[in-house]
Amino acid sequence: MEDLLKELAQAKPPALPVDRERMESDLARIIALPRTQSRRSFKRFAPVLVAAAVIALVVVLLPKPTQPVQPAASAPWWHALTQEWSLMVVGNSANPYIVRLDSKTDRWQSRNSQVTVLQKDGTVEPFSQDDDAKWEAAGKPATVPQAYGSHAVRIGPMKPAVQQSYVSGFQMSLHSPVRLDSFDALPADPVELKKTLATLTSERTDYRIASLAMDVMTSNVRADQRQAAFELLKTLDGARVLNNVLLRNGRYGIGVAITAPAPFQFYQAETQFVINPETGMPILRRDVLTVPQFGMPAGEPISEEEYLLLEATNIDPIVPQDVPVNGEVESPIIER
Amino acid sequence: MEDFSAVYRECYPRVLAYAASHAGAQRAEDITSETFTIAWHKLDQMPSNALPWLLGIARNLVRAARRQVRHDELDDVPITDDFVRVVELRAALSSLSEADQEVLTLVAWHGLAAAEAAQVLGCTTATFFVRLHRARRRLQAALSFANFDRARESWKTS
Repeated sequence: MEDLLKELAQAKPPALPVDRERMESDLARIIALPRTQSRRSFKRFAPVLVAAAVIALVVVLLPKPTQPVQPAASAPWWHALTQEWSLMVVGNSANPYIVRLDSKTDRWQSRNSQVTVLQKDGTVEPFSQDDDAKWEAAGKPATVPQAYGSHAVRIGPMKPAVQQSYVSGFQMSLHSPVRLDSFDALPADPVELKKTLATLTSERTDYRIASLAMDVMTSNVRADQRQAAFELLKTLDGARVLNNVLLRNGRYGIGVAITAPAPFQFYQAETQFVINPETGMPILRRDVLTVPQFGMPAGEPISEEEYLLLEATNIDPIVPQDVPVNGEVESPIIER
Repeated sequence: MEDFSAVYRECYPRVLAYAASHAGAQRAEDITSETFTIAWHKLDQMPSNALPWLLGIARNLVRAARRQVRHDELDDVPITDDFVRVVELRAALSSLSEADQEVLTLVAWHGLAAAEAAQVLGCTTATFFVRLHRARRRLQAALSFANFDRARESWKTS
């Protein structure tokens, strides 16, 4: 198999010659463009120890907003593009294996409407090579039963779906039915914000408050409100500050971990919420095992929502043309 | 700005090569230019190892262009003993799904390590290994099928 890759490398088309003149003229044009975000030096040019020290300092003092406090952007849409994945234990309980459900959600929200593309680029497949081998040994079934559950999951690509609604106010997140007429009134003080969030839910556990605070942080709120939400998270019972979270792209984030209610099929996990220490913007939210389960070690993420894009925009929602709006959502999880 | 320029000059040829191999030579320069324009606007998000991140941007741009262009010309291959094998390999590769082609070429053509390629595709390294394993197997199967077809053709003419 390795030889096959080497052979394939030999079949590589020759590299396109670089047109230096065009390259330099493009560079001049690009760096003359206004930038939408503040500039900073690349970490690649900063000593690692200095970066670590800065991050440690930022943990103690949450980063101040890089821009002056101002009302939430007046652009008509708040655009959130997220990449989600989660693990599901499947097969018979004597010899279970794990599949991974992976998809993107594209969500635009304005004062009176919401457009969501679900299951974008979605796929379900065995999680690891061992899981792949077990699935193959089972005859590569197109549908596999949940272990310890009453449903089944379809292996393969997911079908995207588009949902559009016209309801006044802002829904806090896809996972929460809580709606607000406006985010402007949310307090920018952690204690007051906690009191306000507690009025929005009948389930006043610290985890529920934490979930709402995380939803606030991913919404179109002001930087001082987002900062208050992060401070609130740190004060909740059992919350643990994460000083130095290594991300897949090699960068570091800071965050808060809080004990999660037992996720489906798993029995001990915590939810970690990680932000960019420089901007205060959320990077990801994930559930992580706190004890080994199903052959996976403690510390292994079992689900994740990565915030690829959180921005106010004047550009109208872009939805796939071949998908009916408000048509049926064909979930990969089906009745057995 | 100097840092960006340094990354630009360092990564430009590899982004160009990626764009050319996936969207064709004609569109490669435009895609590369657009990739770095987006990177400039998102400079705060640029990681220390910028190449996988840049290829991730290029990948999104390539997807739209790729639907319009097929680029299986073989003008670039000298007629040698290896010519047939190169033709077979590229034909087998192009018979695979776009996802399989991408997994294989990120490693074999663009020289990325598994972790870097996983970053381009937005998946974990473990998932990437699974996808690579499957894609290699399918490439092998496509090659075997092509060889069988050729053998069958030779039976007809013998």
